Amino acid sequence: MGNEAIVMKDLCKDFKVLNRHEGLKGSIRDLFSRDYKTVSAVRNVDLTVNKGEMIGYLGPNGAGKSTTIKMMTGVLEPTSGEILVNGVVPYINRKKNCENIGVVFGQRSQLWWSLPLIESFKLLRDIYMVSEKDYQDMLELYRSLVDIEPILHKPVRQMSLGQRTLSDILAAFLHNPDIVFLDEPTIGLDVSMKAKIRSLIAGLNEQKNTTVILTTHDMGDVDALCKRIVIIDKGQKIYDNDIEHLKSYFGSYRTLRLKLDDDTWEETLIDESKTDIMEVINRADRQKKIRDIELIEISTEEVIKKIYEGEAS
Amino acid sequence: MEKNKRGLGFYLRIYRKVLVQDLKSKMSYRADFVISTIGMIMTNLAGFITFLILFGKFPSINGWDYHHMLFLYAFSLIALTPVQCFFDNNWNLRFMVQSGDFIKYCFRPINVFFYFISEVFDVKGLGQLAFGVGTLVYAWNKIGLVVSVPIILKLLLYLLTASLFMIAIMNAAAATCFWIQGSGYVMVIMFRFKDFAKYPASIFSGIFRVIFTFVIPIAFVAYYPSLVLLDPGNVPLLSWISPALGILFFYLSYKFWMLGVRRYDFTGS
Repeated sequence: MGNEAIVMKDLCKDFKVLNRHEGLKGSIRDLFSRDYKTVSAVRNVDLTVNKGEMIGYLGPNGAGKSTTIKMMTGVLEPTSGEILVNGVVPYINRKKNCENIGVVFGQRSQLWWSLPLIESFKLLRDIYMVSEKDYQDMLELYRSLVDIEPILHKPVRQMSLGQRTLSDILAAFLHNPDIVFLDEPTIGLDVSMKAKIRSLIAGLNEQKNTTVILTTHDMGDVDALCKRIVIIDKGQKIYDNDIEHLKSYFGSYRTLRLKLDDDTWEETLIDESKTDIMEVINRADRQKKIRDIELIEISTEEVIKKIYEGEAS
Repeated sequence: MEKNKRGLGFYLRIYRKVLVQDLKSKMSYRADFVISTIGMIMTNLAGFITFLILFGKFPSINGWDYHHMLFLYAFSLIALTPVQCFFDNNWNLRFMVQSGDFIKYCFRPINVFFYFISEVFDVKGLGQLAFGVGTLVYAWNKIGLVVSVPIILKLLLYLLTASLFMIAIMNAAAATCFWIQGSGYVMVIMFRFKDFAKYPASIFSGIFRVIFTFVIPIAFVAYYPSLVLLDPGNVPLLSWISPALGILFFYLSYKFWMLGVRRYDFTGS
């Protein structure tokens, strides 16, 4: 087998959605209706991910990120195209595929709610048939990367969001899978927990050469972890390149917010490579009194918008 | 290394471990445990008293005397225990499917149905079991049935058969949530139907008898299997083949459940 962890060729996924009609009459009609429209969630996506790579898989809500991940994990069957994960067709061989992947899906814990974490670990060890030695080695590695003692004997239901996310990530790596899918792993966490989780993921990737597919809206995650970025919008891949390449232009964009005398905020998007921020502030200050200044890094959504508008490719 | 050795032994081992852990954590919520056990006993007691009042007055229904009715009632109580104890998570299925939480059951290299069902063990069913066994022993004595190893084995086989039918009904009812929104009603209605299980199906006429035998096989939850023990000289064919039918219905309900998983779109992230 080659060096590819994931290969997707011309992958498409359509959903059939019932055209709903209004009113009571419409609802009754819907019951017998064959009037479906087709919605393309993923359109002709080609993607190859190599072993050990960490890629940031980005896109606005509803772009088709989750659908792609569901196809890679074998939950959904593609409408057309090819998909191979660790040399396995996921939807045909779901169980075999699941041996070699780990998934952290949003904020939904996959652990046994009422069990202490260590008991969940033991169950996972049995389910994935991990040998006692590999299991102990993995726990040892965890101990070297984060302080797991405070959460190990705590039932998941009593954990804070941060602890739960941490637990879920540890559980996803426990059977040493070839690929781990992380969907919004740092959402809703405070800065220090975010940092902890990022360094844990980086450490596991380095030690185990695990391929990581990271879906996120947090550019901080991407910055800390990924060398390569894939952006999807309206079901199509619109960007696939180094993060350095992306940074070379989104890094120079910032949003300047000025609070004026009448308590209103004024927003301007500034390309720092062309415009000097101080000059903008000075100019504004001459017209109206400025009470407060905020400088905001450009969001993923705005980067995507820029890419979509054709400023980079 | 090829890992294809997840057979029955593997699943039983995992189930035992989940069960032990689950019981441990349940014991730690003692008040909850005690209250739900008392609740279950009260429910059974109320049902039993209603039963006594209703049937104490009638010497016989369709050739069934009081103690035979009691036998049927006890038989149905025991047969309903497995669905209550082991398959109770079916009641949560529709919530998980609607919220999208169900997807987590698809990420493990084990059977989705097993993984989902194994998560909940309901101890309340055990009170019902004790109640059923007590009543059955009493009715057994009053009727004057013999006690022998072959008969006890027969009893166990047909109790198992009867519970397979109820499990199948609830599996199928729960799985409707993959297609329709109001599947909660389907489940409640099906669960209500179990109340018919304690009557001899011979009191239902025509169309209802056909429905309760072949469509919603409630008559198999007590009536047909218990005939093998109550009336050994005159057992209808349906009673004899009920174990095979039970396995078939269970298998079909499982396939229907899994079909739902396959066709469900998992929309939303």
